Amino acid sequence: MLPLRLDSILEGRRSQPHQLIEVLQDVQEQEGYISEEAMRAISNELGVPPMEVYRVASFYKAFSMQPRGKNVITMCMGTACHVRGAKLLLSQATGLLGVNSGETTDDGLFSIEQVNCLGTCALGPVVTENGACHHHMNPSKLRKLIKSIRRAGMEETSDE
Amino acid sequence: MLQYVTLEIDGADIVVPRGLSVLDAAIEHGICIPHLCHVRYLSDIGSCRLCIVEHVVNGRSKITTSCTLRVQEDMVIQSNTERIRKLRRNLAELLVAHAPNSRAIQDIAVRCGVKEVRYPFRNENCVLCGRCVRVCSECAGANAIGFVGRGKNRRVDSPFGSLSEFCVECHTCIELCPMSIQPCIGYMEPGEERLCGACESQLDLADELPGHCVWCELGENFQCGRY
Ligand code: SF4
Ligand code: SF4
Ligand code: FES
Ligand code: FES
Repeated sequence: MLPLRLDSILEGRRSQPHQLIEVLQDVQEQEGYISEEAMRAISNELGVPPMEVYRVASFYKAFSMQPRGKNVITMCMGTACHVRGAKLLLSQATGLLGVNSGETTDDGLFSIEQVNCLGTCALGPVVTENGACHHHMNPSKLRKLIKSIRRAGMEETSDE
Repeated sequence: MLQYVTLEIDGADIVVPRGLSVLDAAIEHGICIPHLCHVRYLSDIGSCRLCIVEHVVNGRSKITTSCTLRVQEDMVIQSNTERIRKLRRNLAELLVAHAPNSRAIQDIAVRCGVKEVRYPFRNENCVLCGRCVRVCSECAGANAIGFVGRGKNRRVDSPFGSLSEFCVECHTCIELCPMSIQPCIGYMEPGEERLCGACESQLDLADELPGHCVWCELGENFQCGRY
């Protein structure tokens, strides 16, 4: 499956080392993470040393090298959000889901991640869920958010 | 054709080919500017910051790393002022605290006049100087190791964490690594790190002649012009 899906991403970008970040971004978006297999394929196709691909992929927070949950909860830990209690929210989320930040729940439904500023400090504390921004977070809003995602996830599995 | 420029380093007028770095020019003329990450035949990345100098422009001085500073006509450089010595001492102190189990780093610390280490010892086995990474890509042409991660998680690793198939096993990376030679007093376990005392004669010399060459052992391995 993988080679075929990479094909469409690599189309028209082969042997163009400067496309590395764009390709990694697309793979991240499509697969949810960047596997070693994908990195090796990218290195071959773009003509970038594997070390370089690995270095770039490990440098940016936006790239994940482990499979992530269906719903990625990203908690902003930047200065502005921090002073408004981001730390408490993070410990609430880890407590509710039973995983640490950077980990994925066993049912594959949630991952918790941290970033150091989403650039919308005035709206802090900010939590994003699969890219959708939730501003002025507080414990009860966070609880509701997690609950509703969980319910949606359960309905989906019972539908199948 | 080689073009030459004249510049002033610590009051001495020197003439060197254009394109050289200030650090190279100084070393060539026997002016010792302590350095760690610089290797003559590799590109410079300015990661250790030890080679800082004052670059005087219109009477105002800017502090910058001399290995990444190219020589220019009529440039005025001061490598050994009170201000520089103080900053450099602090940098060296941070380096020994970070990685005390290295002869080169212990030597640099003594050379820069560090008397005590006020920071907690971390006993790391890498100072992220990038010598190994650069030699692997620039000389071995292998790109078998590189920096991974960022911030405090930055480290040297091979692609995907396992020995790269491109490594030609030349071992230059190990040869150039400042961590590969232990201090004269041997390996220090975590908890017993200290400033190596075996170089006390050097310490006195560094005291008597602040900023002068103390014929540190460093010079031999680090391409000092006097060896
Ligand atoms: S031994 Fe391998 S990793 Fe080290 S410089 Fe040579 S090719 Fe690179
Ligand atoms: S392994 Fe050695 S040479 Fe490489 S960056 Fe670390 S200290 Fe420098
Ligand atoms: S600190 Fe959270 S958005 Fe900037
Ligand atoms: S030698 Fe210039 S910064 Fe290391």
